[in-house]
Parts: sequence; C-alpha cells; structure tokens
Amino acid sequence: MLQALLISNGLQGLEKYYVSSEQVQYTTCLITKDFDPDLRPYDLLVVPNGSDHVALLKIKDKVRDFLAAGRALVCCDGFFTAWVPGNQWVMDNARRTQDVRYAPGTDRHGLLAGLDLDQLNFSHGMSGWWACGYIEAAPGADVLLADTWQRPIVVLDEVSTPGRMLLTASGPLADVSRAGQPDSALVGLYRHFIHLLSTSTVPAHG
Amino acid sequence: MAKIGLIFNGVWSHYALATAPKYRDLYRLLYIHDLDADAVRDLDALAIPFQSNQAVLTEKQVIIYDFLAAGKKVFLEGDSSTAWLDAQWEDRPVNNYWWVTDPTSPPVSATDYDHPVYQGLTPRQACWHTHGVYTRVPAAAEIIQTNAAGDVITWQTRQYGGTLLATTLDPLVEHGVQQITHLDHYVDRLTEWLSGVRPAPDRLTIDAAAYGVGARL
Repeated sequence: MLQALLISNGLQGLEKYYVSSEQVQYTTCLITKDFDPDLRPYDLLVVPNGSDHVALLKIKDKVRDFLAAGRALVCCDGFFTAWVPGNQWVMDNARRTQDVRYAPGTDRHGLLAGLDLDQLNFSHGMSGWWACGYIEAAPGADVLLADTWQRPIVVLDEVSTPGRMLLTASGPLADVSRAGQPDSALVGLYRHFIHLLSTSTVPAHG
Repeated sequence: MAKIGLIFNGVWSHYALATAPKYRDLYRLLYIHDLDADAVRDLDALAIPFQSNQAVLTEKQVIIYDFLAAGKKVFLEGDSSTAWLDAQWEDRPVNNYWWVTDPTSPPVSATDYDHPVYQGLTPRQACWHTHGVYTRVPAAAEIIQTNAAGDVITWQTRQYGGTLLATTLDPLVEHGVQQITHLDHYVDRLTEWLSGVRPAPDRLTIDAAAYGVGARL
C-alpha cells in the first residue's frame, strides 16, 4: 500500500476528497509556521488545490531529494513559486475561458484511458472551469492534456528527477469530486496515477 | 505605496490578485504565518479572503481587532469561524451555474445599493455566487445583502471602532481566478472603499514575471 502525505492548508473539507483505500493510506500534514515535514516515510506527496506555495518553497530541496529517491508527487494546484523541479505553473487570463478545450497528448501509461474529457471541458455547460493558466513543462515531460492553444495543462514528468510527478495547471484531482462524484474524469485521472504507482514494476526512467 | 493588507496563506488566487499590475501598488501580501502588529501598522485596511486559514486567524485575532479599534477598515469574504468572529457562518452548496439554468433566481435577492461598494453595480456585478450564509450577525450590524430565504450574505458593523464589512461572496479569490470576467467592477469599488484610491478601469492583467523564480514574496 502506498503511504501518502497529504498537505493541508487548514481549509475545510480536505479529508472528504482524499479517502484512504486498499491502494493508498493518507496521512495529513497541516501547514504551520514551522512547516518542515519528514517526507522519508512516504511514497507519495499530495499537494491539493488551495495549498500554501510559500511553505512549499521552503521545503523545495526536501521535495527534490524525495523525488531523487524515486518517490512521487501530485500537485493539482497553481504552483506559483519555484518548488516543483523542472516545471512551473503560470497564471494567464489572456484567453477566453469559453474557448478552452482540452486535447489528449502523450499518454504512455494510459492515465487518460476511459475518461470523458468533456467532464473537464464543461460544467453545467460552462467551459474553462477546471484549470487556470498553464504549465511551462520540463523538456521531455509528457503533456497528457493541452489546451486549445497547445499549452500544457496536465503533465506527467518522469525525466526531471528519478521520481514521478503528475502536475495540473490548478485543476483539482481527488478520490472524490467536490460534487461528491466518485467516477468523474478528475477522479479517474487521479486514481489511474495511484494505480500506476501501486502496480508499476517499471521505474520512472524505464 | 500599498494601503491594503491582503492576509494570505500561500494560495495562488490571492497571489494572482495582489501581484496583478492593476492592484499590486495598492495591496500588500501579508503571509499569515508571519502576521504581526508591525506588519499592519502603516496600512489603511485589511482584506481577509476566502480560503483563509481560520485556525491561524483565530490565533491572531487580536491583530484584526486592534486594527479595527484604530478606526480602520477590514473586509472579510467567504467563510469565517465563530472562534474569532461574533457571527454564525454556515456552509451551503455553491450554485455557480444559476445564470445558465435559472437566471431569474440569483443567489442574492436584495442588495443595498447605497453602500459605497455597491453603488453603480448592476445586480449581476453585485452577485455571482455565494459560499454559505450568515444565520446570525452582531445585533447592531447593517444588513447589505440577503438571499431569497432571508439569510444574510453581506453585513457591516462599526461596533469595533472601524468598519468591518463581511460577505459570503468571494470577489478577491474569484478575481484572482479570472473565470468570471466582470469582477473588476466589484473589486475596483471595494478597493476604493478600502483605500481611497480607485484603480484604473482597465481589466486585470497578469504579470508572468511574478511567477516562478520571480515570485514576489
């Protein structure tokens, strides 16, 4: 079973979206003034929507060491500080949200298999609801989803470090969606990554 | 020179708003874990955005109430905790698609458009969606917005010295998120009310140089 450290910014309801299962056991770490978690017991670091990227910048070397040891990171938030190795999220509002559509890219592990991308494209008929801005992806990283303007929105990076990173341009991923749906595309993508980590016999660098 | 302190817990939407060229000279990011009395002394107003850390706000509430006691303004949006605020906020499902499915039933049904923040706003500019309601507010509070059920959405009190304006709207977070394109109207009026300075009427833009290694912390 994967041991995951779930970073909490003290926002209400976080535990509703990340539910321990046979594949993953979550331990919640609340950010405080002296935030400096021991990452060594964990296989996976989960940085959910609404996280503190000032605090995460303070532990960027620890995160790099964690990934250097072959561990994994999910960051589904706008990482505006430079703490994620090789990749950077940038906010942008120069494009109209009503024009946003996501298209699949390189998906060598089948993380998008069976997902209805229109669930990420539309909510109650409105587009542009899921992600904001884009990711400046590391050279060689897989762009799983790109937007209308071919900007990376979901990135699987297995090249910047010996570990694996699944990054979104702030689009939430979780075990349960905010609407309580256990089978939405954002849940499916997250669970596929958990399954990849749980079952993979192939190291990140193949 | 910044006149409004935006209490900030490292969330990107707060950062996007406060570093936007349109607002960055007026708002100062105040990282909540470093917040102390010295950090707010030269400011005219404080803004406490949605997605704040209520536990740390509770620990540091004396800073907020001392600020109000000095006759200054505090704006609070989204949720809150009775541990530091004498009002009862309650969660409700967020309906951010009413304008698609039932445009005749917005989440706010009554607004006092005489309030300086709301003067000149259209109903659509005065409400996009709400994050819960207040079921109890201080006895002397002025009610500025309510929903169809009579729950309080926006209220104001001067009982602490300065003016505390609280709402379950989330203009600062949503303006940072930029998925709603008309929020310059609300946030510009709010900014003027808090600081005395009306931002330029242009639409918010993003400075990409403020992201990554150039982050302004």
